[in-house]
Amino acid sequence: MTSEKLLSVENLRVLFNTRNGQTVAVENLSFSLEAGKVLGIVGESGSGKSVACYALMGLIPSPPGKIETGRALFHGKDLLQMSEAELRHTRGHKIAMIFQDPMTSLNPYMRIADQLIEVLLQHKKITKRAAREKSITALMEVGIQDAAKRIDEYPHQFSGGMRQRVMIAMALLAEPEILIADEPTTALDVTVQAQILALIKGLQKNHNLAVIFITHDLGVAAQMADDVLVMEKGRLVEQGTTETIFKNPTQDYTKKLLNAVLTSAKPVNSFAKRDEAPLLEVKNLQVGYASHSGSFFSRVKKFTRGVDNVNIRLYRGEILGLVGESGSGKSTLGRSIIRLIDAQSGELIFNGKNLLDLSPANLTDMRRDIQMIFQDPYASLNPRMTVFDTLAEPLLVHGLATQATVLDQVNELMDDVGLDRRFIRKYPHEFSGGQRQRIAIARAISLKPKLIVADEPVSALDVTIRAQILALLLELTQKHNLTMLFISHDMSVVRYLCDRVVVMQKGRLVEEGETEKLFSAPEQEYTRQLLAAIPTL
Amino acid sequence: MLLFILKRVLQAIPVLLLVATVTFFMVRAAPGGPFDKDRAIPPEVMTQLNKRYHLDDPLWKQYLDYMSNVVRGDFGPSFKYASHTVTELISAGMPPTLELSLYAILFALLVGLPTGILAAIKQNTLLDYVPMSTAMIGICLPTFVLGPILLLVFGIWLGWLPVAGWGQSPGDKILPSITLGSVYAAYIARICRGGMLEILSQDYIRTARAKGLSTARIVLVHALRGGITPVISFLGPAIAGLLAGSFVVESIFQVPGLGRFYVMAAFNRDYTMILGCTILFAFLIILFNLLADIVQVWLNPKLRQELNARG
Amino acid sequence: MTANIPKVDLPLLEKGSSLSQDAIARLRRNKVGMASFYFLLLLILIAAVTPWIAPYTYDAQNLALGAAPPSADHWLGTDTLGRDQLTRIMYGSRVSLMVGFIATAVALTIGVLWGAIAGFLGGRVDAVMMRIVDALYALPFTIFIILLTVIFGSSMLLLFLAIGAVEWLTMARIVRGQVLTIKRQEFVEAAISMGLSPWRIISRHLIPNVLGPVIVYTTLTIPSVILLESFLSFLGLGIQPPASSWGSLISGGVETMEEYPWLLIFPGLVLTMTLFSLNFLGDGLRDALDPRASKD
Repeated sequence: MTSEKLLSVENLRVLFNTRNGQTVAVENLSFSLEAGKVLGIVGESGSGKSVACYALMGLIPSPPGKIETGRALFHGKDLLQMSEAELRHTRGHKIAMIFQDPMTSLNPYMRIADQLIEVLLQHKKITKRAAREKSITALMEVGIQDAAKRIDEYPHQFSGGMRQRVMIAMALLAEPEILIADEPTTALDVTVQAQILALIKGLQKNHNLAVIFITHDLGVAAQMADDVLVMEKGRLVEQGTTETIFKNPTQDYTKKLLNAVLTSAKPVNSFAKRDEAPLLEVKNLQVGYASHSGSFFSRVKKFTRGVDNVNIRLYRGEILGLVGESGSGKSTLGRSIIRLIDAQSGELIFNGKNLLDLSPANLTDMRRDIQMIFQDPYASLNPRMTVFDTLAEPLLVHGLATQATVLDQVNELMDDVGLDRRFIRKYPHEFSGGQRQRIAIARAISLKPKLIVADEPVSALDVTIRAQILALLLELTQKHNLTMLFISHDMSVVRYLCDRVVVMQKGRLVEEGETEKLFSAPEQEYTRQLLAAIPTL
Repeated sequence: MLLFILKRVLQAIPVLLLVATVTFFMVRAAPGGPFDKDRAIPPEVMTQLNKRYHLDDPLWKQYLDYMSNVVRGDFGPSFKYASHTVTELISAGMPPTLELSLYAILFALLVGLPTGILAAIKQNTLLDYVPMSTAMIGICLPTFVLGPILLLVFGIWLGWLPVAGWGQSPGDKILPSITLGSVYAAYIARICRGGMLEILSQDYIRTARAKGLSTARIVLVHALRGGITPVISFLGPAIAGLLAGSFVVESIFQVPGLGRFYVMAAFNRDYTMILGCTILFAFLIILFNLLADIVQVWLNPKLRQELNARG
Repeated sequence: MTANIPKVDLPLLEKGSSLSQDAIARLRRNKVGMASFYFLLLLILIAAVTPWIAPYTYDAQNLALGAAPPSADHWLGTDTLGRDQLTRIMYGSRVSLMVGFIATAVALTIGVLWGAIAGFLGGRVDAVMMRIVDALYALPFTIFIILLTVIFGSSMLLLFLAIGAVEWLTMARIVRGQVLTIKRQEFVEAAISMGLSPWRIISRHLIPNVLGPVIVYTTLTIPSVILLESFLSFLGLGIQPPASSWGSLISGGVETMEEYPWLLIFPGLVLTMTLFSLNFLGDGLRDALDPRASKD
């Protein structure tokens, strides 16, 4: 393959005018893309990786966005200087894009057929009938079964992975030279992610496409890219071949990112007491939703089984990982343990008592002993309460603190989770995502609970922050001798944190075992699939 | 879809019955009979009158008689205009009111929709600010202020258009229609802008732009269907408002429509007329809410499919 | 509401700014919104002290003068009976504003309670309560109010109740929707899992977060109530002479607008400006309280 520069970007600088003045989204960025190669752009949120690519496509809303300087040469013409008409001719025709969230990226009001055909009608001299034929072929190529029939369906009739396939087919319809993929698998389940990555890789080879692959996930970048470009806060940190970046990174930030990738097993073992009676025993638990399906005007009751006959034992002092994809019932199980959802049948023996039999009054007492950490640190803190109020409330309500001691206790909690004591009078919106999650953790441990249910507590966080929060959780469980049910979709996180793992699929328990044993010798096919889907460096 | 429509129609019937019943008993509970106002009527004439209008029957019988008549489209004789039945009066007043409402809503849509769409596309420019400020004024200028002002300016001072009547001289339908429609034009413009802005920020609009489609196609094909949904759900209540607004407009411009009859009936305590009109208005409002609901479902492929799946 | 959280004397550390403080700061930057706010404040003040500062009494006639255009003695002119229009508009604002505020208070009370109960309890109770609201929505309320005033005569009390009874429906829907959204937020689930009492969850976690939209909608309800009252008075079904409201003044102005246009223009102007200010203030509050604007 000749190394021909297809696209070269020089000194790109993008600004955003905000309420509080200008912020630089991309600063002095230069890179080039060769024909038939995959360039991975890696960075955390706010690194400017997506903004840079949107700027090339003229997709930055302006105002507030503004491309201040730079050139982007594509076939000798500067994309940034093109007229709207020229850009339109390029977009979707020469350079196509796919996006992160396939659920919202297709127009829900239009049939798939119309959305595909319009690309061809816009860019090629072609009849409607021929465009339709071509679209059906494209759908077949991305692996949509029965494409001739399904092309006339609406997006909501497709699953998330299928919609991303449709997006890919749509992007490649006009035979572009460059495909820009913006986190195309982030919103998908791990096993689906593996399929979509393989599909993109295959199509890239077949069509000799140049691909810009934007991702926050180093594992995905390693698997997909020939060259990698690392960005932080709008600036280029380091670029080179995938091999050099991953084997011999020169910059501290790159090293930090690589260290945040969890390839190792759990560093220390907990003091799990397996010989004692379990702290929590889930027996034959059935949880279902009675949903009024459809809409307000028809009250058809639909019963969906979220958790189907599950048995789990959780021993004192251990961290049990609960793994599964979306729809596996893992969150439903977690929520039914803290009685946010009512179970239909079964038993939840906690500390010798069945939680499902407790009267409301006894339940209130029991709540002290089981606490939860939620996924979204933006939603899990009351936006109208200061950190002090948030942390003091449970202490005072349960009588664990008096007016005289509460300030000291809150300060101690702040120390515990590594937050500055000076911030206790601030409100949640004044903190970053990682800091908010620390506050939520402080709230959960404030009552000195016997059990913590953590529902995907790190999935909304950037990789480097994620590593810090995981380290904090590990430290706290050791220090306070906590027992934790850790719910996650991410196998590598589970491997880092948990002593034992339970795998769930479609509401049922698939496999359970010691973490290392399960990872090295999985017994079930589904577990093997999950493990195979972890991208490795 | 058919089942859904049938279901909604069936749900509307009890509401209509409720309206009719409540209105009937409210009117009957009113202090004083319909003939009290007239100069002292001799008792024997009073008895005659009561007998003629079946006011001497027991209340439950009056109610059942009335309801069964209403179902057959007979609203009984007018108390005020003894020679006419309410049904006759209503059929005389109905066409102008419906025509006026139709013109008003057409005016509102023709002005409101393009303004709203344009303001959304040109957000934060003069094409957004100026029409939207004007729309705010439109909302704050009540019909009974706007009507007289328009009449004064175009009818009297400039003398361009007739000041009163309906279908009697050329152009006499213009001022009433604009007066009645302008508030709704303003609302529709604002609602449409909001709806379009919401849709234009969706991911699938970004997809459409990335496909290289023209702005016109993005707006008209991709955004419009979702963007006007809130406007359609507003049309139901808007029609109810239009009917109420027609009271004022018909009074100001002396349009011989139902709204004017209703207000006159209210002053004259013409009970059968009030009853008839109230039931009719309720019927119309429920009907238009129903239509708005149906159109909204029909525009949304997901809802539509769910309904079809259920039969 | 903060009954069992004792006030702790916190050292003067880095002080955060709460969402409401941010919102007020944003509102202060909104020039149109603030202008509207001060205009309304002035209007309310004038209406409150009208009996002491009005230049004439509202029913003092001067038949010799008749309808006169604005002059030094009568800034806004006089009506056909020679009554001072400024005075009558000032007294009219007392009626219009009072109806606006009291009827809105009625609507607010019923709507918030109804919506909050339906949203918080959920399930069957919610379904039934909202079905009732849906059914009432389909009723032709303007017509009902006319009917009521015809049958029972027009009294202020009836106006308050009737208008309040119409306007609570939307309030109930908004509050319910908001409560349902907040209820599903994880911080409320966290509060439940911490074993806080339902009352505490409602008062400390739900209500403060529902308040924003309620304030906005209240501000926007007042003008529609004032409009409804003016509408009724215009038709002659509201406030009865010799008392005046803006609607009845406009109605009188329309009759004589060819000869004495100022009798239509001034009351129309005051009414329109008031509605304008309330709507702009409502819009300004909505922008200021919009949580999307304050996220990051």
